Amino acid sequence: MTFYFGDILPYLPILLKALWVSIYVSVAAFVAGSIIGAPLALAKAGPSRLLRTVSSTYIEVMRNTPLLVQLYLIYFGLGQVGLNFNPLWSALIGMTLNNSAYTAEIFRGGFAAVPAGLREAGSALGMSSVQTFRYVVLKPGLRAALPALTNQFIILFLYSSAASIISLNELTSALEDLNSETLRTLEVFTYGACLYYATSVLIAAGSRVTEKVAFRW
Amino acid sequence: MNPIVSVEGLRKNFGKLEVLRGIDCEVETNEVVCVIGPSGSGKSTFLRCLNLLESITAGTVVVNGHKLTEPRPDLNRVRQDVGMVFQQFNVFPHMKVLDNVTLAPIKVSKHPPDQVRERAWALLEKVGLTDKADVYPSKLSGGQQQRVAIARALAMQPKVMLFDEPTSALDPETVGEVLGVMKDLAREEMTMIVVTHEMGFAREMADRVIFMDHGVIVEEGGPVQIFDDPQQERTQAFLSKIL
Amino acid sequence: MFAEFGVANLRPLLEGAVLTLYLVAMSGFFGTIIGLVFGMARVAPFAPVRWVAATYVNFIRGQPVLIILLFLYYAIPLMVPSATFARGPTAIIGLSVYAGAYIAEIVRGAIESVPRGQGEAASALGMGYLLRYRYVVLPQAMKVAVPPSIGFLISLVKASSLVSVINYVELTKAGAIVSNLNQEPLVTFLVVAALYFALSYPIALFGRWYERRLV
Repeated sequence: MTFYFGDILPYLPILLKALWVSIYVSVAAFVAGSIIGAPLALAKAGPSRLLRTVSSTYIEVMRNTPLLVQLYLIYFGLGQVGLNFNPLWSALIGMTLNNSAYTAEIFRGGFAAVPAGLREAGSALGMSSVQTFRYVVLKPGLRAALPALTNQFIILFLYSSAASIISLNELTSALEDLNSETLRTLEVFTYGACLYYATSVLIAAGSRVTEKVAFRW
Repeated sequence: MNPIVSVEGLRKNFGKLEVLRGIDCEVETNEVVCVIGPSGSGKSTFLRCLNLLESITAGTVVVNGHKLTEPRPDLNRVRQDVGMVFQQFNVFPHMKVLDNVTLAPIKVSKHPPDQVRERAWALLEKVGLTDKADVYPSKLSGGQQQRVAIARALAMQPKVMLFDEPTSALDPETVGEVLGVMKDLAREEMTMIVVTHEMGFAREMADRVIFMDHGVIVEEGGPVQIFDDPQQERTQAFLSKIL
Repeated sequence: MFAEFGVANLRPLLEGAVLTLYLVAMSGFFGTIIGLVFGMARVAPFAPVRWVAATYVNFIRGQPVLIILLFLYYAIPLMVPSATFARGPTAIIGLSVYAGAYIAEIVRGAIESVPRGQGEAASALGMGYLLRYRYVVLPQAMKVAVPPSIGFLISLVKASSLVSVINYVELTKAGAIVSNLNQEPLVTFLVVAALYFALSYPIALFGRWYERRLV
């Protein structure tokens, strides 16, 4: 068997375009998921018993069911009751909701990692709990959460491939199309694997840069 | 004289564990009181009750006119009048030294930023750290961080300063610089309650020394009396072990 | 809606769930073996061994599971033309490769968490590499490795859902087939989700109980 990696090269622009879809869907879902995740984390740790139960249940359900099933529920399941979302929107909604459960736990862990002594110092200076959170806990907590957040973003990006199953034209579906067109399975999927790998390496590097820039202390 | 801190029958339980078993104590304005005793005697707990970092199980505590034992005390108002310095410093690592000092006066006391910054500079000068104002705490030694913590507490213009074993976590070389700042503070007539193992400081600067053991005050008196002529057996036993 | 669902629909889903369990058990088992080997290789005294292991582990962890599965699905028949690979083994190999890389990282972290002094003391007693690992390092490392492994087990349950794309009839694929037949994707996939939850939540609870016990 001979391998012709060069044969795939002309198709690279198509693959890169598809990679871009994977990336921006992941970014959008991650950002939206984090925005939902933050209040979710506060609800879970907050005073209201109702909010605690609701948020815990949501988090447990999202974390213990596969993303693919969640996507099927949104794409096919909601379609059955008249809510028709196209593949892109299904993927965005599904990945956002899924991600929010994980980022909620990550934020919770990050803020809990801030030493109690710092919180006490804030209280001793007369700060209210809101002020203590805003000025003492928030920044160190986010810094503590950064490695887990980066990890979660990479996982989300890799799992965006599941959206290919609900017909989203991202990288994995592009690879499958290319494979059936050229029948050069090894070469096509090697390119795909390298693209995914390179992106995740870049994300990790970006995170280290962010840490140096945003958390200079 | 009207005592600025007045404690009557203070009890504190952690669950079933009785840590403070009835403390009666009064501290006058400008007094320097040192609290000594073995680990587990409840000295830190006692101190932390005075700014309600620990809740009070029973008894009455009045600090600068605030009744800490009323049903819903205004915690933040109380804490603006009482400054605290911790054993682990607890300086905010994500802020530069100057910002550590100015944060609370601006955001809590709501004083105008320019005034606060001027006050902060004066305090940094007092603790000898003006050259570090623009530096992050991670670059400072333990003694320097603790001095920042003292300046930070003083910036709130408290009526009483509480020190919870301020030098216990420091390397021996840096203990002196922190004690120096505390001595200056004492000479400037700040009301101070200091839990410490530094007997030298107590002997030199305290107006009164309190010896605590097993949740009660065993003996109190002037430093000369406590250190050179302790009346109680437990006091004698404790002092003989450390002096 | 739910009442009409009935046994006829439920049965294939339950069968799918059993296959999911089977997949998870098999790939968990093989993945653990791969993970132990590569995890130890990551901290081996020989630089080339470390390098090869690191490359493999990092590369696999930088892939979507789906890519690994699709690649094996298309490529294996091409490379081994004599065997028509059944979907089951393909799925197990794919998930095992995936699991192996993640478990390797867990093992590496666990080994590194054992204080250096332990290995040094063992060496000082004259124990060679294998003896050291077998009696001193690994037993201590395995305790640390349990909580993250339990967490990964849950990830494996969820990853197994992607095997549906190569038409192996585990729980998700069963759900797809059933919903195609009964035209009720909403109910069907809610039941599928509930079954996954029933598989995965007890593992999560066990993991939390175990962690509390460690403290």
